[in-house]
Amino acid sequence: MIKLPLQRQGLCCNQPVGQRVRGISKTSYAWRIAASVLGIGLLLNGSLRMSDDVWPFGPLSQYAFSPPKDTTIVITRIEGLLADGRRIDLPLRVETAEISRAEIEARIPQITADPSLLRSVVDGWSSRHRGEPPLIRVWLVQDQTRLVDGRVGPTRLVELTAWEPPS
Amino acid sequence: MRTLRSVGSWFMPVVPESRVAVLRTVLYLFVIVDIHLFVRDPIPLSRHPELYQPLMIERLFHLPPPSVPLTITLYLILMIGCLLAAANVLPRLAGGVVAAAFTWWTAIGMSYGKVDHDHLALVVALWVLPTVGVIADRWRSVERSAQAGWALKCIQISVIFTYFLSALTKIRSGGWSITSWPESSILMWAIVRRPHGLGQFLLPYPELVHLMQWLSFTAELTAVVVLWLRGRALLAAAVFWMGFHVFTFAILYIHFAPTAICWLAFAPLERLGPWLRRVKASRAQRAGRRSAGHTVPVVRDHAIDSGG
Repeated sequence: MIKLPLQRQGLCCNQPVGQRVRGISKTSYAWRIAASVLGIGLLLNGSLRMSDDVWPFGPLSQYAFSPPKDTTIVITRIEGLLADGRRIDLPLRVETAEISRAEIEARIPQITADPSLLRSVVDGWSSRHRGEPPLIRVWLVQDQTRLVDGRVGPTRLVELTAWEPPS
Repeated sequence: MRTLRSVGSWFMPVVPESRVAVLRTVLYLFVIVDIHLFVRDPIPLSRHPELYQPLMIERLFHLPPPSVPLTITLYLILMIGCLLAAANVLPRLAGGVVAAAFTWWTAIGMSYGKVDHDHLALVVALWVLPTVGVIADRWRSVERSAQAGWALKCIQISVIFTYFLSALTKIRSGGWSITSWPESSILMWAIVRRPHGLGQFLLPYPELVHLMQWLSFTAELTAVVVLWLRGRALLAAAVFWMGFHVFTFAILYIHFAPTAICWLAFAPLERLGPWLRRVKASRAQRAGRRSAGHTVPVVRDHAIDSGG
């Protein structure tokens, strides 16, 4: 057992009368210091050099980039055509589509290369809306809003790809 | 040698173990809330193996790709483990299992393209809380230890690093420039992308939005100071950061609840048990007096021999 520095000096932490202090072995003391230093090192390394791949030691990169004053802001959506002719917005939330907007956005290149990846959204939506007519076509679309000198400018709708679920 | 000792005692202050016992209860119950409200998508996501992109941690440990039976098993393990650990029962075993299961569960949630950063402190907390081991008498413990102090210090560092490291990442992503992030249109971008909160009212005022960016960036960059604050200064810092989270929730609907709850690692939670016991005792006493049905002699405004 070792005594902590402040305990040795008898100054430890306003210790009330009657409260016991549990001892700590040298090994316990050493591995805790080592783990703290290692953890801090991994976190700094993750933030300064690595990518999201090394979660939970990756950079805290949410909202950490710096879009310019004339950037284009995109909102990715999925629209669907129902068999009765209605064109609707398929909300990209876990409860309604089993997948969130961010997950679709992270997969845009794969989806445009292989639009059948939209099946997950179609299946997720259909399984939760059994009373609705089937989806016969879905589009991956974006609302693109321009900033003009830091202020909100015009918005336009762009279709990225489309897919027809097999009936 | 002296420096080494003072570094050691900074990392491992001797604190009441009841503080850890209370924090365990709160955080393990919070994990149950978390898997239902925040990282709630591993089960539905596991139905889409074509979208799975394992993180390094999953590749390193050769973790099998998520499937519905696997994610449901993890869910059940988390529910049972959290209930045991929240009661400070089998703290090392139940706590260790929850730490591993929650890390895996959250990693699955982050393996479909989007990685969130609000779970750092909570994941660290779950790994360090079991290291304190059995706390005799749990919430009523009168023991103090450096083991408890180290666990709390790790959680405190993780909370503060969530802010500090995000400032470092902003400097890095802006080409190692201090001004590029606070001068950018990031908050405008975020408000346009999340058009549901009160942020809509800020859209006509880009200058005000820039000022907010400077304030939050400065606060994040200097957050490390909080680790050395005490008393009222620490309370003021905690109130500031809670206000910051309420504000970002109001304008963007972005909450940092898993980080915010870990601020409790700074609080004197050991006072909660005795306070609850006092409240309970005085209630019981009042109820007892009422049911006894006899009148209590009163001198002026004070009951005699009321015991309170």
